[in-house]
Parts: sequence; C-alpha cells; structure tokens
Amino acid sequence: MAEVVSPVPGAGRREPGEVGRTRGPPVADPGAALSPQGEIIEGCRLPVLRRNQDNEDEWPLAEILSVKDISGRKLFYVHYIDFNKRLDEWVTHERLDLKKIQFPKKEAKTPTKNGLPGSRPGSPEREVRKTLDLSLQPASAQASGKTLPIPVQITLRFNLPKEREAIPGGEPDQPLSSSSCLQPNHRSTKRKVEVVSPATPVPSETAPASVFPQNGSARRAVAAQPGRKRKSNCLGTDEDSQDSSDGIPSAPRMTGSLVSDRSHDDIVTRMKNIECIELGRHRLKPWYFSPYPQELTTLPVLYLCEFCLKYGRSLKCLQRHLTKCDLRHPPGNEIYRKGTISFFEIDGRKNKSYSQNLCLLAKCFLDHKTLYYDTDPFLFYVMTEYDCKGFHIVGYFSKEKESTEDYNVACILTLPPYQRRGYGKLLIEFSYELSKVEGKTGTPEKPLSDLGLLSYRSYWSQTILEILMGLKSESGERPQITINEISEITSIKKEDVISTLQYLNLINYYKGQYILTLSEDIVDGHERAMLKRLLRIDSKCLHFTPKDWSKRGKW
Amino acid sequence: MSKLSFRARALDAAKPLPIYRGKDMPDLNDCVSINRAVPQMPTGMEKEEESEHHLQRAISAQQVFREKKESMVIPVPEAESNVNYYNRLYKGEFKQPKQFIHIQPFNLDNEQPDYDMDSEDETLLNRLNRKMEIKPLQFEIMIDRLEKASSNQLVTLQEAKLLLNEDDYLIKAVYDYWVRKRKNCRGPSLIPQIKQEKRDGSTNNDPYVAFRRRTEKMQTRKNRKNDEASYEKMLKLRREFSRAITILEMIKRREKTKRELLHLTLEVVEKRYHLGDYGGEILNEVKINRSDKELYATPATLHNGNHHKVQECKTKHPHHLSLKEEASDVVRQKKKYPKKPKAEALITSQQPTPETLPVINKSDIKQYDFHSSDEDEFPQVPSPVSEPEEENDPDGPCAFRRRAGCQYYAPRLDQANHSFENSELADLDKLRYRHCLTTLTVPRRCIGFARRRIGRGGRVIMDRISTEHDPVLKQIDPEMLNGFSSSSQTIDFSSNFTRTNASNKHCENRLSLSEILSNIRSCRLQCFQPRLLNLQDSDSEECTSRKSGQTVNNKRVSAASVALLNTSKNGISVTGGITEEQFQTHQQQLVQMQRQQLAQLQQKQQSQHSSQQTHPKAQGSSTSDCMSKTLDSASAHFAASAVVSAPVPSRGEVAKEQNTGHNNINGVVQPSGTSKTLYSTNMALSSSPGISAVQLVRTVGHTTTNHLIPALCTSSPQTLPMNNSCLTNAVHLNNVSVVSPVNVHINTRTSAPSPTALKLATVAASMDRVPKVTPSSAISSIARENHEPERLGLNGIAETTVAMEVT
Repeated sequence: MAEVVSPVPGAGRREPGEVGRTRGPPVADPGAALSPQGEIIEGCRLPVLRRNQDNEDEWPLAEILSVKDISGRKLFYVHYIDFNKRLDEWVTHERLDLKKIQFPKKEAKTPTKNGLPGSRPGSPEREVRKTLDLSLQPASAQASGKTLPIPVQITLRFNLPKEREAIPGGEPDQPLSSSSCLQPNHRSTKRKVEVVSPATPVPSETAPASVFPQNGSARRAVAAQPGRKRKSNCLGTDEDSQDSSDGIPSAPRMTGSLVSDRSHDDIVTRMKNIECIELGRHRLKPWYFSPYPQELTTLPVLYLCEFCLKYGRSLKCLQRHLTKCDLRHPPGNEIYRKGTISFFEIDGRKNKSYSQNLCLLAKCFLDHKTLYYDTDPFLFYVMTEYDCKGFHIVGYFSKEKESTEDYNVACILTLPPYQRRGYGKLLIEFSYELSKVEGKTGTPEKPLSDLGLLSYRSYWSQTILEILMGLKSESGERPQITINEISEITSIKKEDVISTLQYLNLINYYKGQYILTLSEDIVDGHERAMLKRLLRIDSKCLHFTPKDWSKRGKW
Repeated sequence: MSKLSFRARALDAAKPLPIYRGKDMPDLNDCVSINRAVPQMPTGMEKEEESEHHLQRAISAQQVFREKKESMVIPVPEAESNVNYYNRLYKGEFKQPKQFIHIQPFNLDNEQPDYDMDSEDETLLNRLNRKMEIKPLQFEIMIDRLEKASSNQLVTLQEAKLLLNEDDYLIKAVYDYWVRKRKNCRGPSLIPQIKQEKRDGSTNNDPYVAFRRRTEKMQTRKNRKNDEASYEKMLKLRREFSRAITILEMIKRREKTKRELLHLTLEVVEKRYHLGDYGGEILNEVKINRSDKELYATPATLHNGNHHKVQECKTKHPHHLSLKEEASDVVRQKKKYPKKPKAEALITSQQPTPETLPVINKSDIKQYDFHSSDEDEFPQVPSPVSEPEEENDPDGPCAFRRRAGCQYYAPRLDQANHSFENSELADLDKLRYRHCLTTLTVPRRCIGFARRRIGRGGRVIMDRISTEHDPVLKQIDPEMLNGFSSSSQTIDFSSNFTRTNASNKHCENRLSLSEILSNIRSCRLQCFQPRLLNLQDSDSEECTSRKSGQTVNNKRVSAASVALLNTSKNGISVTGGITEEQFQTHQQQLVQMQRQQLAQLQQKQQSQHSSQQTHPKAQGSSTSDCMSKTLDSASAHFAASAVVSAPVPSRGEVAKEQNTGHNNINGVVQPSGTSKTLYSTNMALSSSPGISAVQLVRTVGHTTTNHLIPALCTSSPQTLPMNNSCLTNAVHLNNVSVVSPVNVHINTRTSAPSPTALKLATVAASMDRVPKVTPSSAISSIARENHEPERLGLNGIAETTVAMEVT
C-alpha cells in the first residue's frame, strides 16, 4: 500500500529505479490493496466501463485526467485511450476496474518548460510537473500528478517484469538531450501504434528502456510539434520542428484557424468545460473545451440564443434576451438559397460579436480550432435551414479572406443535431463552389479531425468519381483525363485529388503508364452513395462575388 | 508485380490518365502497385488521432464496404432536439423574404442592454414594483450601465447617480442590489464576457482568453503584387524625407548666417554710435575705401551668398575698419578668438578677482557670439556652448529680422547708466515706462503723465493719463523739469517686481509728492520733452575723454538716435503682435552685448586708474544734470574701449572656458552677499539727492564692482547653457537692463538718487513687455529649473550689477 501511495504528487523526486519498483506491487496485486477512492489520482490508467454503439459493455483502457468530489462522491474524468477526446467523460468509481490500475510514473526528469506542457488528447502521457505542490494554479492543480502511465506497456506486453528490470539501468543514463526527447516521442507513437495495429513492428529491445525514463520529455516532444502543417508522416521530422519551436512561449501563428500552439495541450483545455448547451430546440453535449467565460462553466446548461448565439446563464436570461434580440437569421448577407437551405456570409471584422459567439460554439465541437486570435481575417459562411421560426443554424465553415496556403476552409462544422444527414458534405460542396467562383483550387486547413477526414474523403471520392464516370469516350478512344483537369473542374487541390485516387486505389501502373481503373465495386459503391446524397449545392442559386481582400487595407 | 523491373515514373499531374472501366479493365494482377512510385499523401490529420480506434474502424469499413455502415460510424456525444418550450421561448414567426436577406452594416448595433435579467433580478423587480414602476428593460439598462462603468472597481453611488437618470430611491435600491450581487458573482462582471488579453503578455497562455488582437505585423506574402509597389513607395518616401532634411539643414545654415549678420550689423551700428556717426558720414567715408577690404570681409562673414546680406556687410565692415586699429577688422577679431584666448585663459583663471572680471564678461560676449559663429565658423571658433544655446533661441520664429537697406542704430548707452538708489523710484519707473512726465515744447508746459507713441507717418502721439497729481504737475515749470517724477500712488507696481526686489522694498520709504518734486528739482528727474537734436560727431578719442558724455545733454540727442528711439519706442508701445516681441528680444540682445562690453570696459577701467579718476572729477564738479552725462560718457568710453579690447579676446575666451569648464559656484554665492551690502548703501543714499549721492553711488560701485561683476558673469554663463529660454530671457533681462535702451529713457535723464531702482524698474518694465516672461515668472522659473536656492540670488546680483555698471 505504502508503495502504491508514494507516487502521489509531493512525494518528491524519485529515482527512476525506485519508481519502477514501487510500481511493481500494484500490478502484481492490484485490487486487494487499494482503497478505491484514495489512491486514484490523475494519470492513473485503468480499464473503464463504457457502453459502445452496439450497446455492449467494453472496458477500454482509460486515463484519469481529473478527479473531483461532489458531495462526497468522487468523480473521475477519464480519457479513453485511443478514443477521441470527445468521448471523455466523468465517471463514478464503480466504472473503474481498479484491479488493473496502473499508476503514473512520477516524472523525475524534465520539468516542463513554460508551463506549457501538453500532450495531444490522444496521447497517453500527461503533463508532468516537477514541483507540484508549489506552483499550481487551481485550474491545473489536478494535473499535478505527474504521470506517465507506463503501465500501458505493461499490460500490453507480456514480458513485463523483465522490462522493468531493465529500466533502472537504462534510465539514469538517459540525458535530457534532444535525442532523449526525440526518442520518447518515438516511443509514445509507437506504443499507440502497437495498440491499434499490432502489425507495426516495434523494436522491443529499446522500448522498455526508453519508455520509462522520459516520460516528461516524451510528452514535451509531442507537445513541441509546432504546426500541424509542418508535421510530416515520419517521426524523424519532429526533431526539427521541436528545435524550431521549443522553449519559445510564443504566440501561435496568426494565420489559419486551427490550433498549433502548445497551450492547447494544457490540462484545462483537454477537458470539456461546458456540460450542456441549449441552442434553439437542441441540447448539445460539447465535445471539447471552449473558452466561454469561466463563470459559466459551472452551469448545468448554457443557454444560447439560437440566432445571435449569445450566451446566457439561465433560461430566464435567454427569455429576457429574446425580448431584445430580433434576429431571425445570422447577421450577414444571404448568398445562397435553395429550398430551405441558405448560406449567410459574415465578415469576422464587421460582425465581431456574432463571429466570436459562433467560434465559441464551434469550439465545443472542434478540437483543433484555436480562438487565440480575433476573427478579423475570416469570413464565416453559415448554413441555415429555414422554418417558420427563422433561419436555424445547421453548420458553418470559416474561411480566411486571404489564404497563403490555398485554404478554402479554415474550420468546418455541422452541429451535432444535424450530423450524418449530408449537411457536412453540403458545406464542403459549398466551399468548393465558392472556390470555383473565385477560380482557385482549395483545400481545407489542416489538421483534419477524424470526422473531417472521413467527410472530405467521401466528398472528394464522390466528386472525382462523378467526373470520371461522366467522361464519355470520344470517337472510340478511351476517355482520359489529367489530374490537373480534375483539379480545375472541381477546385479540389491537386494533392487532394491524388490522395483520393490513391485512397480509392484507382491509380495503377499498366503498360508503362498510369491508368485509372474504375472497378465494379467502386462504381456500384459510388452509385449507391450518390443515391443517398440528396442535398446538393445548386450553383445557380449562389449569388456570390468574391472580393479581392489583398486590395483592402487589412482584411 | 514482379514484372516491374523498372521504377515507375513519377505521377505527372499534367499527363492524361486513361480510364479503364468494367470489361476493359486489365487484370489487376497485371497492374503494378504504385505505392512506391507515388508517395502516399498524408491524411492531414494529427498523427495521434489518425490512429484512433473508431476512425480506423470507420476507414477500414469504408474500404471494405465502399460505404459507411451504421455500426462503423464514429460515435459522438449525444444531442437532443426536444426542447419542448421552444415555441414559447421563440415567439412569433418569421416569414422568409423573397429577396435574399441583405443586412445593413450599421443596423447591427441596437442600443439594447447587454445585461439580461435573471430570476433573482426578477424577484427584486417584483419587490420594487410594489413601490414604484420599474420595467425589466429599465432595470437591465441600469445594471448594464453600472457594469460597463465599472472595471475592477465598482462605481460609487454618486457616480451611479450621475450614470443613471432615475429616481434617487430607485438608484439606491438597484445600486445596493447590484453591489451585493456583484460581490457574490464569481465572474469579473455580471455580464458574462470573454476574458480579455492583458497587454503584459501574462495571459498569453490562459486558455480562457480568446480573440486576442493580432498586433504583430502580418507576414508579407510572397506572391503579393503590391509588395513591389509598396517597396517603391517606401523608397520614394525615404528619398523625400532625406531631401527635407537637406532643405532644413540649409535653412538652418541660412538662419545662422542671418544671425551672424545681425550681430555684425549690431556691432557696426554700435560702434558707429559710439563714434557718433549718426549721419553715416563715417560709414560713407569708409564705403569709398571698402573695395580694398571687401574681398576679405565678404567671404569671412557670408556663407550662403544671400545678396542683401552681402550688401549690408559691405556697408558695415568698412565702418569698423575705420574705427580704430584694434577694431579694424571685426571679422578677423572673431577668428582670433580660438587662438589667443587659450594661452591667456590659463593665466587669467589664476589671477585674482580684478583680473578675472573681464574674463568673465568676455564669456558673456563669447556666449553671445556663438550665435553668429556656429556651424559655418566652427572651424574657426570652437563653440561648445553654442549648440545648446542655439537650439534654445528664445526668439524662435519671432526673432527680429533685419531688413535689407535699413539702418539700425544702437540704443543709447546712457539709458542704462542712470543710477538710481531709490528703488521705489525704480518702481515708478515702470509706470513711467508707459507714462512719464511730459513737457511740451510748444506751448511750453508740463502736461503731466503721458506716453509717447509714434503714429503713422512718424507723428508723435501723446497718450495722457490723469493722475491725482495732475494739478501739481501742471504747475511745474517745464524749465525746471528736466527730469521726471511720478508719485508712487499712481503706480500699480507689478507684484512680481516687488517680489524680486523684496529686499529693497521693505526698506523703502515712499516718497511724498513734495519729496518727489524736490527730487525733481534737485535731481532733475527725467521727463519727456521734445527736443531738438544736435548732431554730435565724436570719434574714439572723444569717447575716451568725458567730452562726448558731457556734451550730450538732455536736449542734445542726435537726430539719428531719436529716430532710432522713436522706432524702437513705437515697436514697444504697440501692444500685442510679433513686432513688439521681436523688438524686445532684439533689444535684449543689443543690451546684453553692450552690457558685456561695458563690463569688459569696467575691468579695463580698473587697470586704467587715470580714466577713472577723471570721471569722478567730472561728476563731482558737474551738476547732477551733468552727472548722468558723465555716466553716459563713461559708458560711451566703455563701449569704445570695448571695441578696442575686443580684438584682445583672450580674456573672454578664458572666461568662457572657465565657466563652461568648471562652473564657478562661488561666483553665485558671492554676489548675493555683496549685493546686500550694495543695497544697504544704495538705500542709505536713496533719498539723498545731488552730487554726493552720485559720488556715493559711484564709490560704492567702485568698491563692489570687483565682486559683483564676476559674480554676475559667472552666474549668467552658468544659467545660459541650460537651454531654457525663459531662463535665458530672465537672465538677459536682469543683466541687460543695466544698459537697457528701453525707450522710456530716451530723453530722460537718470537721476542720481535711485539708479538701482531705475534699473530694476526698467527691467521690470521691459520684462513686462515681453508677454510671457515676467520677472517673477522668469525668476521663479529659474528657481524651478535649477532647484537651487542660490539662483534666486541671481536677481539680486543683477540689480547690484546694474548699480555697478553705472559707475
């Protein structure tokens, strides 16, 4: 027991080897010794009961991100490892499988620089603070337990004891050099890979040694990856990016709308802070953190005006607000209307309050969105559905007035109540319609979310297949098309065309040249999908004149 | 696969790709995997998220089934759409307009309060509504105003009352409620607001701070066409700015040259005055010969080829040349400054007081000279002090500018030489400055107090002022009234003046009218009387003797000088307007220069006991009337000898260096002591008329001169470099007034009894004319600037110095 307790914050610095040893017992004899609430601290990992879509109970491994005590009952904020953060939730201890708890390894090494630690949501590592007791502000106090849930490995691997023994020797030698930082990075990524796709080869010799020691640095390394843009697939590049951005508590870049700063990885921003949002007829459960005024985060429900998106504390406030707010549509110019679907264009500079309110709402559902800077350089295209009460927001996308990187979408969101009904694709289609009017190709700003990737891939696939299948053979010749032509027709950026063709496996090398092959199941699949795709953008209904923002002073 | 014995070419986006469908499709086994040839495109997702369980499942499901399966959907938190009170909340309907909705940019701001009432407020409202009518909106507006007027600090009830246009009771009730609620509120405001960034950067990482302003410059875009254009614009801008700098520098040069020219002209005029060249005879005489010197003089003084200046220089320089051997070349004199002085500087600095006197005076001259010998003459005259001095030119844009072809005359030195012991009279002098006892020539009678102005066309206008003494004054025989008197009662002393003279004043007894009259009679106080002017020709030899001074009596002012004085008077009496200021400052300059020369001469005089002895004799034997003349002659002598001594600039240079180098602190302290002694002497003398008084003054002057003058001189250079225009002005005025040509004195004669007072009055009066710089303000500004109590002594120094110089 005593050993189990020792890693708690304030226990002080421990030699790595020591830690490893102390961790031993719980693993060997987990449940028996634990008094359930007492020892579960931030950073612990353990299986947590959750019900999947098929209504089956699962026990995915989860990490405790925070613990709170509500009227004597402890609640644990858990992040299911390798599940998206949006599924993180508060659970009672009954859902914890304490028998398999893995305690965080206390970070004895690198303290985080800048206090800006952070791991990506999906990463198992947590922020590590060396001097937990001293520095923490209340908000992040929960994070104080520094923790590396090394045990992940333990559970995954079967040669656990040996690995652990290897640790003490290897660890002390690990300097805090960039190489060590890099290495953990490798490890953490690999570890995940192992879990998800066992096929990925893991150099098992190095794994244990490198994993344990550099917890903090591993987290750092991950966090240090600067911009999503600069990320490449290979881990090796992380080193460079780390160098370039490390230690600079600089503000994030000012272009774009998606987060690239490390503050995003703050423990505060890793947790949802709004419990529920009422918007019109809908009650939405936010997926992610959103910087609504902090005093509102304790409310059970945050009430938003459906039309101006202003937030209020209570239903009474909303009622009062509605007596003063006569908006029944987004406060911008309607540039598209077909049926009940309309698009409104809102200038982030001219209509700041609406733009900000929209961003705050959107942030609840967009993990990587940043609200660091003002909305001035953006246009917001809000898709609405009309009924007798007004134009109800369905989704929106934002777009930089001037993009240096061919982005035609910054953030894009279909509000949860409207998801999986084709609105997302409609939004995407609309964004490309605008690009067509502008005569440019465009691509969404990265990183894409999982849903974003699926949606875009789906849109790209359907759009490209539509073109390919529409090609008629002329004078008996086999129809042919260049990638550039596809790009021009669709305004989809060339790289996205290629990646889609690749993804669909259409490109083949045959008789010394590349060919596109449309197999039966592709064609069938496409035709079936298109049957379901009823909502389409009608370019004739678009009344849009692009502005040349570069000629204006500042956006 | 193995068929591929060569690497596939890179995928070319511009190359047509044939499309194979269905039956045409080759056996995929014949196709080659392109994975090696075409790099896998990144998904664009975060690496860590890319591997997330649900996504992978969904992707693989899509790959397999070519469409999404329900069970393979990525799960998201639930959303409900069953808010049953929706229709009650959002009342009314909105009809879709046929036209696209177009919003007016400025329609968005309606004046609705941001604050929304909650149920707690409603309770209060219900309670309040029992006593008075208050609507929710009204309440919200009140809270809204209170909130928006408060930051961290709540507005007070008083402020609230100003803020809210409501009944006091209501305000009180709402205010108290608001304060209570606000204190319980966890947020910074009752109106929930997004956290603002703080400028200190402390909020850079605060996750709750959003929508920070983009303060940094946007990156320049590589592909923006306007970059080139803006670059060119910037280049052009830079070029134009540098051109502007060049032009300004040229202007600066020109103005410096102008100033130098002015000083030279001044010198010429001054010397002509001392020579008595009122008619320009000498000048003309010299002009004939100038051709010899012209070549030399012109290049030395003129730098920017301004023609009218060239002309002036030509006319002036010959004059100088004709004066004396020593003064033969003003231009050369300047050049010599840097050379000689240094050698002598060391010597003089170690010499006892009498020796240092001229040195210090010289420093003033030097400082003055800097104006004219700045940039252009820099190689010739290194002038460390000049730069700050220059920048601080008190005249600024209103500086006096000479006109081409116009002859300016130096002020009469005798104005400054009037010795008054009676400081009260000096006070009177101030008023007299405007209104003095005036006698008309035809009919010959005294008309009391009047002020003389020059009207259009040179007509002399008398502005009379009535005083209670008019009856008495009118009975005064104009003949016996050579001087001037006034009663203290008629004069409203300027408070500032009394303040500076505090030490004097409380010792003074006011003179009764009878005393004044007796003074008038015995001392021949000055009074304005139109006079015929005699031309007086005097050369330098005459100046050294007392001849010139003696010959000049009240009625014998040269026409030329009268003309000059008239002009100057005109300039002064015209109120408001730049010309007056210009004139004033010009006069100050003149005066200062003269004073410096005087001081110089005084020092010289000390070494020449013979000349000094002649003066007392003359004064003693002469009447009081003559006495003032004597003083005049002395000053004339000084001036002349100043010219003489000018070519021997070593002392001045030394003094300058002394002062600039090691500010003589003792100098400041010393004078205050001496000035007191002088004052007491003066006071004792103040009421005693006649020769004895004069002599006393003179002797006092003698004894104290040694101390005072150095003191003054040391103090003024100390203050001057300070670059404070006010200060400079003040110093100038104080010091300068000794010789001040202020027109009041034009035809008046200094009476013996109150020389100091007269000086001071002059100072005050002249200062009074300078709108901004009143003595007190000037002095107080000195005090303020320096924060040195000793500075206040400066004023005393100035006064005493005045007395000294008179002797």
